[in-house]
Amino acid sequence: MRKFSNTYIFIYITVIVVAVATLLSLAATLLRPYREANIKNETMAQILTAANYIHQDKKEIPHLFSEVATESEVGDIHFFSVNTSDGRLLYVVPVAGKGLWGPIWGYIALSEDLKTVEGAVFSHKSETPGLGGEIAKDAFSSSFKGKSLFDEEGNFISIKVVKTKTDDSRNNEVDALSGATITSRGVEEMLYRCLPEAIKAIQASTIQSQIQQTQTKE
Amino acid sequence: MMQLKKYLGPLNRNNPITIQILGVCSALAGTAQLKPAVVMCISVAVVCAFSNFVISLLRNTIPPRVRIIVQLLIVATFVILVDQVLQAFFYEISKMLSVFVGLIITNCIIMGRLEAFALANRPLPSAIDGLANGIGYGLVLIIIATVRELLGSGTLWNYRIIPETFYQNGYINNGLMVLPPMALIIIGVIVWIQRSANKELQEEY
Repeated sequence: MRKFSNTYIFIYITVIVVAVATLLSLAATLLRPYREANIKNETMAQILTAANYIHQDKKEIPHLFSEVATESEVGDIHFFSVNTSDGRLLYVVPVAGKGLWGPIWGYIALSEDLKTVEGAVFSHKSETPGLGGEIAKDAFSSSFKGKSLFDEEGNFISIKVVKTKTDDSRNNEVDALSGATITSRGVEEMLYRCLPEAIKAIQASTIQSQIQQTQTKE
Repeated sequence: MMQLKKYLGPLNRNNPITIQILGVCSALAGTAQLKPAVVMCISVAVVCAFSNFVISLLRNTIPPRVRIIVQLLIVATFVILVDQVLQAFFYEISKMLSVFVGLIITNCIIMGRLEAFALANRPLPSAIDGLANGIGYGLVLIIIATVRELLGSGTLWNYRIIPETFYQNGYINNGLMVLPPMALIIIGVIVWIQRSANKELQEEY
């Protein structure tokens, strides 16, 4: 067998690593527009799914989205106003938090009076498939539908993700995922943190637009 | 003729999954449906063929002391390229396969072929050997995925095969088929059938 000197090995590895790195960064740069378009498309699909548009043709999504949804911004908070197929107005707000292994996020559709959840979609970066990863499934997200965010006195109570429903008289409890305590808590935490801010932002913007409307009338 | 037989070994008598029992992990994870299984099979075959080809081209220049590192580099490069292409053009499927595309790097079949074949053979035979092993792996994956999707979801390639009337009359999908343990049982059944058909594969006790 041929003998290789240390210098040879060193140069050999360096050359290969540089060649490989160049090739990979070239590929990443060339393919980035496609990847970003896919991610954007998926976000739109998630917002539409949260607002209960189901089983849309993938190619139709950008068109449908631009037709029924408008994005608004108050401070740092984005939200989307979506007209549903049965002619109602829903507000879809993004939420983001921490799971067990990485970020989790979702889109929550709120009724026009901002009191009830009309739909939800969750997604995750790296939760365990079959355990925490189940938050992305319909079975979990559909259990949020119809839950109320406020008690009778109008205090924000958020949605509790619980092991066993003890007392659901306030209609704000959903079943946690078995084997995924930390991910379930993450979902509860991000709703508790993000929803009040989003609701305030939507209220602020609707008041603002009402003022504008009365001003233009005058 | 002998040559051809040697290359076709991985498809049956020397199948990487059922005979060498390699790459079982990804065979369990990616086979709940036919579509991701086929994509997984193509990805592995492509990575295996190309890395075998490149390593074989470089085989006389690779210092033996760092050969595993060089092999890993080449395999990782092709896996990342495949992953990027999937993310760009087959986004849904790439999400379904999630980490398992990245884990092709650790698929023992590929490293095994590099060590056992590509380091000692010329580029073209090496590429064919890689492709044949990838296809041999893929064949088993496709058989498993067909059984699992048909019995677990009643569909094939997302088209409904078991008609609605069956469900109305009380037919229920086998939920266990969707979960990874069932893939292991199916592999076991395939190994059993293959060994009872080929007496020379049976081991003496």
